[in-house]
Amino acid sequence: MGGSVDGTLAHNEFVTKQLHTDPAWKGFRLMSRSLRYLLAIVALAVIALGAAQTRINVISFSQGFAFPDLFGSSGTEKSDRLLAFEKENNIVVNMEWGDESAVRQKVLTDLISGTGRYDVILLGTDGAVQTYGYAGFLEPLNAYLESGDFDAWFDLEDIYPSIIEANTVEGNVYGMSYYAFGPGMVYRTDIFDRYDVEVPTTMVEFEAAMAKLKAGLAADGISDVYPLTMRAGPGEEPSLDVTGFVYAYAGYPAWFEGGAATVEDIKANKAQPDFTGAFRPGFEAFVRLAREYGPPGIATHTWVDMMNLYSQGKAVVLFPSAINAYAGIGSTELAEVRDNSAFAAVPVGPSGKQVQSFWSFSFGINAASRNKDDAMKVLALLTGHDALQAFADMTVWPAAPYASVMRSDTLINRYGEEEVLLNEEAMRDSETHYFPYIPELADFMFQIGTATSQAVSTGDVTRALADLQKWAVETMTAAGYYR
Amino acid sequence: MRRLSNWLLGGFISVYALFVLVPIVWLAIGSLKTRFQSLRSPPTLIFQPTFEAFQKVLAGGVGHVFGNSVTIAGINVMLALLLGIPAAYALSRMRRPARKNLAFWVLSIRLAPAFGLVIPLYAFIRGIGLIDTLGAVVVAHMTITLPLAIWLMMSYFDDLPVDIEEAAIIDGASRLGVLWWVIIPLSGPMIVAVALLVFVFSWNEFLFAFILTSSEAQTVPALIASLAGTMNFDWPLMSAISVTALLPAFIVILFAQRAITEGLTMGAVK
Amino acid sequence: MVSFARRSARFPGVFLAPAIITLAAIVLFPTAYLLYLSFRHWVVTRPEKYFSGLANYGLVLGSSTFWHSAATTAVFVAASCLVTLVLGLALAVALNRRFRGRGVIRALVVLPLLIPPVVAGFTWRFLLNREIGMLGSWILPSLGLNASMLADPNLAMVSIVIADVWSRTSFMFLILIAALQSIDMSLYEAARIDGASSRQEFTFITLPLLVPAIIVGLIFRAIEAVNVFDLIYVMTQGGPGTATQTLSLYGWRVAFTSFDIGRGAAIAVVMVIFAIIGTTLLSRRVLR
Repeated sequence: MGGSVDGTLAHNEFVTKQLHTDPAWKGFRLMSRSLRYLLAIVALAVIALGAAQTRINVISFSQGFAFPDLFGSSGTEKSDRLLAFEKENNIVVNMEWGDESAVRQKVLTDLISGTGRYDVILLGTDGAVQTYGYAGFLEPLNAYLESGDFDAWFDLEDIYPSIIEANTVEGNVYGMSYYAFGPGMVYRTDIFDRYDVEVPTTMVEFEAAMAKLKAGLAADGISDVYPLTMRAGPGEEPSLDVTGFVYAYAGYPAWFEGGAATVEDIKANKAQPDFTGAFRPGFEAFVRLAREYGPPGIATHTWVDMMNLYSQGKAVVLFPSAINAYAGIGSTELAEVRDNSAFAAVPVGPSGKQVQSFWSFSFGINAASRNKDDAMKVLALLTGHDALQAFADMTVWPAAPYASVMRSDTLINRYGEEEVLLNEEAMRDSETHYFPYIPELADFMFQIGTATSQAVSTGDVTRALADLQKWAVETMTAAGYYR
Repeated sequence: MRRLSNWLLGGFISVYALFVLVPIVWLAIGSLKTRFQSLRSPPTLIFQPTFEAFQKVLAGGVGHVFGNSVTIAGINVMLALLLGIPAAYALSRMRRPARKNLAFWVLSIRLAPAFGLVIPLYAFIRGIGLIDTLGAVVVAHMTITLPLAIWLMMSYFDDLPVDIEEAAIIDGASRLGVLWWVIIPLSGPMIVAVALLVFVFSWNEFLFAFILTSSEAQTVPALIASLAGTMNFDWPLMSAISVTALLPAFIVILFAQRAITEGLTMGAVK
Repeated sequence: MVSFARRSARFPGVFLAPAIITLAAIVLFPTAYLLYLSFRHWVVTRPEKYFSGLANYGLVLGSSTFWHSAATTAVFVAASCLVTLVLGLALAVALNRRFRGRGVIRALVVLPLLIPPVVAGFTWRFLLNREIGMLGSWILPSLGLNASMLADPNLAMVSIVIADVWSRTSFMFLILIAALQSIDMSLYEAARIDGASSRQEFTFITLPLLVPAIIVGLIFRAIEAVNVFDLIYVMTQGGPGTATQTLSLYGWRVAFTSFDIGRGAAIAVVMVIFAIIGTTLLSRRVLR
């Protein structure tokens, strides 16, 4: 209860004043006075203890899952390595955990109020990096990385260029990745064999494969296994995947006329949103696949639901955010899922480009932080080579931003060299900017995802896209792009 | 006629009891499963129970979070009653025009939606330096519990006949005396109900408690939400915490039931 | 009566002052700040912040999404209030009579109140889940309901109403039973002597005397329902699409996803104004 000292003091002060006049409350006043003294003593002690070290506040989700080598499996026990780091650098690392959307909320409140409460913050490359970067809330890391002081932690040669690119906005690197993934397709080899389905390399083949699976399952009377599991819940949930489809079907990020995908391009060409135009084919394909080959509740599914379905053996293919399948394989208790899952490169769309899906779980520094240099040290600890190796060792996910970690024994032993290299290729060769990097990105991702959910649940693609287009025009105009 | 209505009401109570119980039982069952088991499709009712979720609860040191919730809720009840009952009484017995405005103003405070108040409240609490303290959450909750208490007690006092108060005043009692010796004893059931509602609201409140605290002053709903995250949907753990939170509260309610009945007998002696 | 009125004027200030001061201190600043924000143009991603008068209000009231959310909210509030009122009343009447085990049943009825709406939301979402929920994947389909309760736009609304009713009927019940228990027994005795049936007793004695409590309960329930956030957010996130996007969720989205703080504040203020109008109409009687 140490942290509540000041508050309780002020609080007691206030209540006591109110009751000062009435003799009946003398006892209460006496009690609060001695309580006050006690608390003052405690306060002094706490202040004395805390004075020497710099306190760096970090906020993240995945308690017990992320940073196992630093905070243990409960997320609250500091490991020896962390304690050594703290001692060496005279820093106290204060880690706060929460649920993903709640953490994002807290980060936002802190950034908006400029209060600098959190020094190291969680970012995603699907909106947070771009929006906060443009708004000036994040501290560019270029100077730190180029200074050479952090070479022991980060080997810039070792990190896949696409990862750095994904975390960069207009030349400023705002985040360092803890894990990241590119697109892929994970499927059940046993079920493919059973129905004589070949691994598709184009979307046309993919749809044919889906149809064959559906027919085969129906013929066998299996009604609780679905050919495909994807996510189409409202909010920004499906957006990474849907926009990946859009890219593959149009051949470019078809959000604005002419494919303008940067702030300058859009402004220079006064490029209006194109959601009812070139955006449509990919969107429609996604919706169609979800409705025909996915489970009934797919319009509510988050990546967790998608992953669960696969790990319960109720889906044949999970794509394009294949990493979620690896999570599912890791947590499954069914041998047939664990032993018969394989990874394949994601198919190409009509344009010849692959379906995209890229995301990085990154951390950045609050521009309002009062201890940026120390925060950078903590950031290096959290996203440096050792932390990433420990994560890979624990989860056995082929999602490491470092080539050396990706090709480490842990992963090669588990999946074999071929599969690891395929995953590497997917991450390395990703077109990370398959959606526009603009300040309004977070908002667009949310809106697109909601439109997807709507279209999947009602079946009305035209209506969903019309609404989306209208909203986009309003938003871009209000943001001053077309003046 | 009476027997038929008895049967109907009895049947209705049974159905409603079932309605209440289903999610709670589901929660309890969930707390005894492993994560994988909890995600089976279709779900299993027969399975090998395990206590690993409860073990995590005990190991995770959630005692202090529960303590926070109890303290905050308790302070809220104390303050709501302490400040609210006199205010409600005054409002109830006041002359008409002044009272209408005040009463209305008191209620309208409760009307603002949470999202509207998050940023202003955060800025305010930050400004007075109370972030991540129990005081911050108490303050935030008071914006809702105090008006609630005042409003409920006020409408209850409105229906209390003034004869006894009049007699007491004529006998020379002060307003405070009337309040303490006449009104409060007559309001037993209502006071208990209000105390309960205030406690429960504070106990359950999530948004403000979450935004305004991190680790020191974290409350139970915030803790639960942090565990039921999208990244690591640990249903059994969340259920285990909810069940653990329920048990003491359920016992408190059982006692409150008796208090209500006792208050009733007191009230009958007018 | 005259002397009483003169005496009643002499209420010591300490009765009202603490409450009013507390509320003023902790509410005045945030509400004033909220109002101030609503008159400013402040979009987090854009550098310019400036006074914009009623521009935000114009945007809000002219937006079709706003009115769609308002309609969704109206449906949710009406359904939830109605059902909780009927259930709460029935429970209060039923549990007012003595019978064995009444204490336990009463405790049971109050139980959902102790469960934070966040947990209630998660639990119902889990229960109704089409793939892994006991109700959603097992019981309901076997009763013939094959659609997903949460993925179908109309059923999603039904789902959140059910969850809200489950969570909040106890509140209505508590208010009504406290009021029920303070009804003078002698009224019933007199009625029985005059030969009234139990239904007549209910219609002519119980119900009229309960009206003030019912109105208070409804007002609070309605306000609460308009502001419900955790429950809906956790169950459907406002989806599928925007089928369950109430004003509370919409305002949240505008403020924290579109980062338009000014417009979000305006939505909050508009909601308060709507609520004031609504409760004024309803409570004319009670403020007598």
